[in-house]
Amino acid sequence: MAEVKRKSGKPLQVNPHKLSQPMGATMAFLGVDRCMPLMHGAQGCASFAKVMFTRHFCEPVALQTTAVNDVIAVLDGGDYSIVESIKNIHDKVAPELIGLHTTGLTETKGDDIRGIAGKIDVPLVYVNTPDFKGGLESGWTLTTQALIDQLTEPGDRIDAQKMVLVPHVSLLPIEVEKLREVIESFGFTVVAVPDLSSSLDNHLGEKQASLSSGGVTVAELRQLADAAFVVTVGGSVKPVGATLQAKNPAIRHRHFNHVSGLEGTDALVAWLLEVSGRDAPPAAVERWRKRLQDAMLDSHFSIGQTRFLLAAEPDHLAAMAASLREVGGKVTLAIATVDSPILAEIDADQVIVGDLEDAENMSESYDLIIGNYHTESLAHRVGKKAVMRGIPNYEEVGSALKNDVLYEGSAYFLFEIANAAEKMREARVHHAREQIKRQGSA
Amino acid sequence: MSSKPKIKELLVESACEHNKDKKKSCNAPTPGATTGGCALDGAQIALFPFADAAHLIHGPMSCIGGAWETRLTPTSWAGRDLTQTGFATDITNNDVVFGGERKLAAAIDHIVSNYAPEAVFVYSTCVPALTGDDIDAVCKHRTEKHGIPCVPVHAPGFVGAKNLGSRIAGEAVLQHLIGTKEPEYTTPFDINLIGEHNNTGELWRYRHLLEELGIRVLSTFSGDGRIAEIRTAHRARLNVIVCAKSLVSMTRKMQERYGIPWISCSFYGMTDTSAGLLAIAEALGDADLIERTRALIAREEARLKQQLIPYREVFAGKKAVLNTGGNKAWSIASALQDLGIEVVATSVRKSTEEDKAKARQYLGEKAILMTNPATQQAKVIDETGAHLLLAGGRSLYTAIKKRIAFTDVNQEKKKSYGGYDGLLVLAEDLKNSLQNPVFELVDRKAPWQK
Repeated sequence: MAEVKRKSGKPLQVNPHKLSQPMGATMAFLGVDRCMPLMHGAQGCASFAKVMFTRHFCEPVALQTTAVNDVIAVLDGGDYSIVESIKNIHDKVAPELIGLHTTGLTETKGDDIRGIAGKIDVPLVYVNTPDFKGGLESGWTLTTQALIDQLTEPGDRIDAQKMVLVPHVSLLPIEVEKLREVIESFGFTVVAVPDLSSSLDNHLGEKQASLSSGGVTVAELRQLADAAFVVTVGGSVKPVGATLQAKNPAIRHRHFNHVSGLEGTDALVAWLLEVSGRDAPPAAVERWRKRLQDAMLDSHFSIGQTRFLLAAEPDHLAAMAASLREVGGKVTLAIATVDSPILAEIDADQVIVGDLEDAENMSESYDLIIGNYHTESLAHRVGKKAVMRGIPNYEEVGSALKNDVLYEGSAYFLFEIANAAEKMREARVHHAREQIKRQGSA
Repeated sequence: MSSKPKIKELLVESACEHNKDKKKSCNAPTPGATTGGCALDGAQIALFPFADAAHLIHGPMSCIGGAWETRLTPTSWAGRDLTQTGFATDITNNDVVFGGERKLAAAIDHIVSNYAPEAVFVYSTCVPALTGDDIDAVCKHRTEKHGIPCVPVHAPGFVGAKNLGSRIAGEAVLQHLIGTKEPEYTTPFDINLIGEHNNTGELWRYRHLLEELGIRVLSTFSGDGRIAEIRTAHRARLNVIVCAKSLVSMTRKMQERYGIPWISCSFYGMTDTSAGLLAIAEALGDADLIERTRALIAREEARLKQQLIPYREVFAGKKAVLNTGGNKAWSIASALQDLGIEVVATSVRKSTEEDKAKARQYLGEKAILMTNPATQQAKVIDETGAHLLLAGGRSLYTAIKKRIAFTDVNQEKKKSYGGYDGLLVLAEDLKNSLQNPVFELVDRKAPWQK
C-alpha cells in the first residue's frame, strides 16, 4: 500500500476537484422521492449546486434556497427564512419531505436548525453541513444518517429477507440499480438509502424539477428498522450501519469498501451466498463472472502497460484502483478530494489529498487520467488523455448510466479504459511517424 | 477607506428609467422561491473573462466547486488562460475561528509566483464577510508587495442577486483599475465595450467589423479583456454597453468622472447588429465614419441575405414561442424575425421594464408577453399553433408533449449566435431542430399503452 500524504500544505486550492459538503447533502436528498432539498444559505449556495447538478445529470434538478440576505444574515436566527421558505414551497408543490441542510454562511451565524425544525409541523429532515468542513462524501453520509435518525421508527422485529443498501456518493444511479438487482436475485428485497437509481437516472418524466421524482419513499424510510441487514458500500458510509442499528440492535451490518473488480464482487457474492443459504448464484451472475474473467485477460495487455492518475472522491478512488490493479494497471498517483481513512487502503504507488495543480506538477508520473470534467483540460495541458469519471462531467451525455461495478460493470470499465489507453498510444505513434515523414521530406 | 461599495447606492441607479422611486433590488429573493445566482456569481461572470488576471475566491468550495471552468468566454491572450483556472482559499474550520487573512495573503503569493497574472481579483464571500476578514488590507499590502493590482471584490452572496454582483464588479474595476494607466496613443474613434463577455466568442463576430471601420476597441469589460487595457479605459470617446443593463452605473460614473458618453446596443441578429454599428458611428459623430458604416452594413446585409435564402424557405410560415430571460426576450426575437420566423410569444418574467417595452415594440401588439411562462407556455403553444419552442432545458418536456421542435437557448450553449455570421449558425440549429423527428417520436405511446 502507498504512503499517504493527507495535507497539501498549500494556502489555497488551484483547479480544485473537491466539492462541498452541502452539495453532498443535496445529492442525498435528491435520492428521496418527492423531496424538496432546501439549502439554508444565500441564494448562490443553492444556485451553484443546482447549476452543477443540472449540467452534470442533464436533468432539471429540484433544489430550493432560504435565500439568506444581508439583513437576515445579521438579524434572523433562521426562524424567519426557514419558515417562510417552507410556506412558499408548500404554496406551489406538496413535497413528502423537506430536506433542510445548512451552509458555511448559516453555520457561521450559528442558526439553531434543530430548534427550528422542532417547531415546524411539515415532514422535514435537517442536517448541519457547513461547507468549511468535509466534502461531498461527508455531506452525503451525514444526510443519510439524518434521514434514518429522524425518520426511521425504532423496532425489534426483523424481516429476514429485507436488506437496506447504503451506497457511497460516487455510485451512479445505474450502479445502484445493478447492485440492487444482483442482491435481489439472491432472494432478498432491497431498499437503497439514498436511492438515485430512479430519480437521477436520465429518465423522461413529467413535471420534472418541481420535486425529486423517484428515489426511496418517506414511507420506506420510516420502515427501515425491520431489515435483517444493512449493507454499506464505501468507507464514507460505513458509519450509517450503526445509525440504523440504533433503531433495532437486531439488524446485522455488513460493510464493503467497494464492489468493483473480480475480488471486490467475489466478496459481495460470497457473502450473499452465505446469508441466502444458497450453493450457487443465479445464472446471470455466474455468466457475468466468466465475461469479466475474459475481459480481464483481454484488457490486461493495454492496461498493464499504462500508468494512471486517478482523481476522485476517496471511495471512488479505492474502487477504480482495485479494478485497474487486478489487471496490472499501474496506479502511480491517486489524488483524493478530501482526507478519509480509506486512503490508506488504496492500491496505488502514491496517494495524496490535493487538487489538479498537484496533478499538473506531477505529470511525469502518469500516462492516462481518470477524473472529472476538469481533468480534460489538464490532459490537454500536459499532453495526455483523460477518461471522464466523477462529478461534474459537463463534457459527455449519459454519465448517469455508466456502470463500473460488479462483474458486469467492471468488464465494461476495463474495456473502456483499455481502449482509451490504446487510442492514446496509437495517437502518439501516429504523431511520431508523421514527424519522421516530415523530416524525411524536408 | 473601505473599498466596499454602498449597496443602497448601487440599487438606486438614476440612469435606469424605471428606477425613479425604488429602493429595493430589482429581484429581491423570496425564501423558498428563488432561482438564480448570487452577487458572487454575478461578479465572477462579469470579471472572469479577464484571462490575464487571477480570480481568487476567498471562500469555501461551494463558492467555486461547480463554477470554475464553466464560462465559455474564449480569449486571445497568449499566456495561461486564467479564466479557466480555479483558485479558492477553501476556507476551513480554523479560518472561521482564527480568521483567514494570513491564508489569503499566502494564497495571493502562491498565485503571483506560479502564474504571473497581470492582476488578482480577490472575491469576498459570505463566510469571511461575516467573520470580518479585512480583505481590503490584505489586497492593499499585496498590491504594494507584488507591484500588480490586487483588487478586492466585495460581493458576498447574501448582499443580493447576480445583477447586483455585476454592478459590484464594475464598481471594483472603476475604483481600482480604470484611470491607473495611460494608453500609448489615442484615436478619435476609441471605444470601450462594457458588458460584452465574449460568451462563446460573440465579440469576435463583430470586432473585425469595428476595426475595418477604424473604430478601435480600447478596452473591454471584460470579454477577451486585458487588465492593461481596462486601466486605460478612461481615455475612450464612447462607452458601448452590450446587452447588460446592470452596468449602467459604471458607465454613468465614467460619464461623470471622465466625460465619456454611453450608448446601449445588442449584436444579436442582423437588424440589431446593423443598428448597433450605426449607433456607435453616430455617437462618435464623424460624417465620413457614418457613411462608411452605412456602406459596410449594406455589404454585410446583402451577403447575409444571400446566404439565408435556403433557410428562409424552411422557415416560411413558422411560428416560435420564446421563453428566456432579460434582454434575450427581445434580442433573440429580433434574430428570429430576421430569419422570417414569426415570434408569437416571449417571456418577460425576468425582464426589466425597458426590456418589456422593447419586447412589445419588436413583437407587435398581437404577440403574447408571458409573465409566468412555466404555466403559460403550453397553452400559448396551443392557441398560436407554434412550431418551435426556444427555451431553457426544463421546458423541453412542454415541447415534447406538444410535439413541436425545441431549441435550448441557455447561456450554457456552446455556439455563438451573435453578429451577422451568428445568424447563420442560429439558422442552421433551428433548421436542424425543425427537421428532427425526435420531438414527434419520443413521446409516442409504448406498445403496452392504450
